[in-house]
This record gives sequence, C-alpha cells and structure tokens, in this order.
Amino acid sequence: MEFDIIITNAARAAVGPEALILALAAIGLNMHFGYTGLLNFGQVGFMLLGAYGTSVAVATFGWSLWLGVLLGLILATAFAITLGLPTLRLHALLFAIVTIAAAEIVRILVGSTDAIGLTGGPLSISFDAGAFYDLNPYPDGPNDRYGAGTFEFTGQQLWVMTVGWTLVALVSVGVFLLVRSPWGRVLKSIREDQDAARSLGKNVFTYKLQALVIGGLIAGLGGVLDAIKTSGADPNGFRPQVTFFAYAALLLGGLATYIGPVLGAILFWFLRELIESFLRQLVAQTWLPDAIANFFDGAEGIISVGMVGLALILLMLFRPQGIVGSRNEMQLNG
Amino acid sequence: MVESVQPILTVPAEVGTPKPNPILVVDCLERSFDGLKAVDIDHLEIERGVVTSLIGPNGAGKTTLFNLLSGFEQADKGRWQFDGQPATHTSPDKLARRGMIRTFQLTKSLSKLTVLDNVLLGAPDQQGERLWAAPFQSKWQQQEQANRQRAEELLERFNLTHMCHELAGTLSGGQRKLLEVARALMANPVLIMLDEPMAGVNPALGQSLMRHITQLAFEGVSVVFIEHAMEVVTGLSDWIVVLAQGQVIAEGPPWKVIHDEAVVDAYLGGQQENRQR
Repeated sequence: MEFDIIITNAARAAVGPEALILALAAIGLNMHFGYTGLLNFGQVGFMLLGAYGTSVAVATFGWSLWLGVLLGLILATAFAITLGLPTLRLHALLFAIVTIAAAEIVRILVGSTDAIGLTGGPLSISFDAGAFYDLNPYPDGPNDRYGAGTFEFTGQQLWVMTVGWTLVALVSVGVFLLVRSPWGRVLKSIREDQDAARSLGKNVFTYKLQALVIGGLIAGLGGVLDAIKTSGADPNGFRPQVTFFAYAALLLGGLATYIGPVLGAILFWFLRELIESFLRQLVAQTWLPDAIANFFDGAEGIISVGMVGLALILLMLFRPQGIVGSRNEMQLNG
Repeated sequence: MVESVQPILTVPAEVGTPKPNPILVVDCLERSFDGLKAVDIDHLEIERGVVTSLIGPNGAGKTTLFNLLSGFEQADKGRWQFDGQPATHTSPDKLARRGMIRTFQLTKSLSKLTVLDNVLLGAPDQQGERLWAAPFQSKWQQQEQANRQRAEELLERFNLTHMCHELAGTLSGGQRKLLEVARALMANPVLIMLDEPMAGVNPALGQSLMRHITQLAFEGVSVVFIEHAMEVVTGLSDWIVVLAQGQVIAEGPPWKVIHDEAVVDAYLGGQQENRQR
C-alpha cells in the first residue's frame, strides 16, 4: 500500500476542475436551498444548459467561444425563469418534483437521436476551446508539468483551475455581498416563513425568482467551465446524481454559510478519490482473498460514492450543521 | 391632556352601522368550509384611528375574517375597501405595502434570524431589499442605520433589548408575540390587525402592550384586535364587534355591548354555563 499516492491522488481531486465545478453547483444550491428554502432538485439542468449552450454555439453554430459562454448563461437564466414562473407558487415539495423532472426533460431532449444535428444527441458533442487556452499563461509543452509526484497537472489543467477557482472566489464574494444585505434578509425570512414575509409587504414570488435565477446562473457557470474543461459535453454527464452530489457537498460544508459549499465540494472530491484510490490499491494486494478482490475490482468508483453517502449520514447524525455551520441555528425548529 | 369627544361615540350601537370615517368597509363577505359558513357578514365598517376589538366564542370566524381581509385566504364572495381603495382580490404583500399589517395567532417569528433582524424586516421601502442595490452597502447603509435605531427603540419598549442579537427561535412564546407586534409596528401600519396579541404574554408586559396599543390609536393608527378575555377588551377598546358563527351579532361601545342580550347568550352566557359546571 502506498499511502502517499492515495493522499496525493485525493488532494489532486480536491483542488482539481471537478471540485471547482461542484463548488459552483453547490454555491448556487446554497442560494436556492440554504438561503431561500427552495428545494431545487434540478440543479444539474442549469449545468447542462451552461455546458450545452457553450458547446452547441461553438460546434454547431460556429460562434466564438465567448458568445458560446454567453449563450450558456442565457439558457441557464431562461431555464430558471421558465421553471420558476409556473412553479414557484407551488408547495415546496411539488416544486422539488417539478425541478427534478425539468432537469431530466432537458437531458433527455439534448440526448435524443432527433437532436443529433443540433447537440450531437446521445453521442457527445465536442468543440474547439482554443480561444480559452490561447490565454493560458502557463507554458504547456509536452513535458511541462506542475506539481510533484501524482499531485501534478498539465499547463492546460492548471489554467482551467486558475480561472475556475478565481470564479469560485468571485462568486462567493458576490453571494456574500448579496446575502448580508436587506435583500438577503428577505430571502431568509422566506425560508423561515413565507407568510410572515408576505404579511410585511414582501413580494415573495419575485424574491424566489431572483434567487432561482442567481443560483441557476452560478450552476450554469459551472456547466460552462465543465464544457471548456472537456472541450465538449455528454448527456450522461448530467444525470440527476450530479444534483445530489451538490447537495452532499453543501450539507458536508454547512448549509447557509458562505464558505460551506466550497469546503464541502473540496471535501467531497477528497473523500471520494481517497476511498477510490484506497480500494484500487487494496484490490491489487496479493494477501487479499480473490472473492473480496473480485467484488471490489471495477466497482471502486461506485463504492467510494456510497462511502461518501455513508459519511454524509454520519455527519447528519453527529454534526448536522456541517463543517462550518452553527449547531445552535440547526437545532431551532419552527 | 384634553381629548375631544371621539366621533365614534356618537355612532349608534347597531349591527352594520355606518361609521364617520371608516378605514375598512366590508360588504356581503362570505367564506364557507365544506358548506359551513365560517364568515358571513352583510356589512361592517371599522372606524379609523380607534381601537376596535373583535370578540366571539371559539370558531366564530374571527381569524378567518382576518385572513380574508388581509388577503391570506380567498373569499367565496364579497368585497371590501381599505383606506378608501378596493382591497378585494389583492395579494397580502400588496395590502401590507398599503399599510394593512397583521399578526398571526400562531406566531410567525423567523427562528433562524436574530430578534433585531426580525424587526428590521418589517421596515417599509428598504433600498437594500432591491436586488440591484443589495450588493452596494453604500446605497442602503444610511437607511439601514436609521431603521436599526427605530428597531432598537421598539425592542426596548417591548423589553426585548437583551435578546436583540439572539436568534428569534430562542424566545419564549410570550416574547414571540411581543416580537411580532414590534415587527408589525416597524412597518408603519395605517391599520394594524393583531390576532390575540396578549395570549401567553405575562400580565405586566401585557399591560404595557395595551398601553402601547392605545397610544397607537392616539397617534392615528387604526387598531383591530382579536381577543378572548372580556376584561381586556372592555378596558381597551373604543368599539367592540361581536362575531358568532361567522356573523356579526352585535357591535357598539364596550359598555353597551357587554349588556347586549345576544352577546350574553352567544358568548358570555356560554362562558358562565361553563363556569357553573
């Protein structure tokens, strides 16, 4: 067992592009659920539209990458509005059901064979993200590597990470500025009791829609980065579990906290890769009985997600407020 | 201090009687639940700038009437005016912005907000509540400071200063009632509708709350409140409206209403029977 490799693998995942994309999804979800109390189970739909907006604009329409980014963000906003207008007046649980269905609808639509000409359908779509990498200040020759051992990135990866984490920081500051304002106070009052907010003259529907759009845009930005990172998009990358990973990250870090979703996303990928790496090494051990080795072999990824789920359950039992949340606040009910 | 005779005192104590300067005018209001008429009012006027109390036995439709008038429940039929303008089919938040502020029988304190934030939420026309202005503190800080000062004054009046920075969820039931009244006052109401504001509040604080309510009316705010305890109502109100089975069975100044036969039968009579058992 080479534990140093397991740890560096995990650390690599914790700061890598996947973690920052998850962080953006979780920050958006925090805006929805953490501050406004909107039970959005369709966060992945916003990410999909960000990713496909960018990909389709560049690959199918032949637009520039930057126009593609803009289209991705516009589509995420449009999704928030079309989703929100008819459903935000519904009960919280009905809203949750509609959101998960809406996200599935867009995934099935872009992945359908009828959409091959536009989105590539069930095949993935790919485009040239050169305009993004042209700005890369890190030398990116075939031998350029950054980091040490398995904690190592190419120049391109490092550039995605630099831009991505900068965006995570900017978005976090933006959310902080919004939420500490009287506007944020209204959001929290809606989360606590929307009739109380109404009785004090707040137009609850408008605030919910604003929160839905902002959180959706942030997730859409995550989708855009995902498309740039992989130079394309694949409908299978936007299954409902992505939303639940974002929830896991949010709950791990701490609901309705500024830094919680970011820490949670980092921790989520750290744990996931830690367990997966560990299992992969375990399977290779000669002392392990074949039956057990065969059981784990090839299932490391799935099992590690399951273990993260288990960690989440334990967290809810022993530290329900997440890493940075306040326990006092968590224990207040009604 | 010399008070002129209030015009309300010249109004005859009859059901549906017109008032000299009504803040609320209700016509043919009906609301049924499964065929049972919870509210069925032909005509009712609430006078401006006085304390009107709404009494009646349990299930008389008092809270339902509040819910209908404030837009939280839909009426089956009927129409009403608030402050001279139609108020039928108007959303609760719009009515609140027009100055009709209500509280709830089961308090709606916002548990995970501080006591101060609860009160601050009540402030009307906040610049910082607009999305575009929210990120720029300089645009709303001055107003927020002024609101904060007013909120702290209100909290002091209701003996909640020491809880100012605690989460509202840590308050006792009585304190939550007071918090809700403070929050409603923060909204600068034209008409304040209090649903059992004294329930669960300790007597000393209840007294101070009552003084506060009379003071409000003196300042020109119209007050309507629902209350069970007859002794509270008589000492405090300028006018009493008695509801039973959704209908107004009597209205008038306190000294007339408490001797009204219909009231004694429907409300006090019922209580006395209970006591004899």
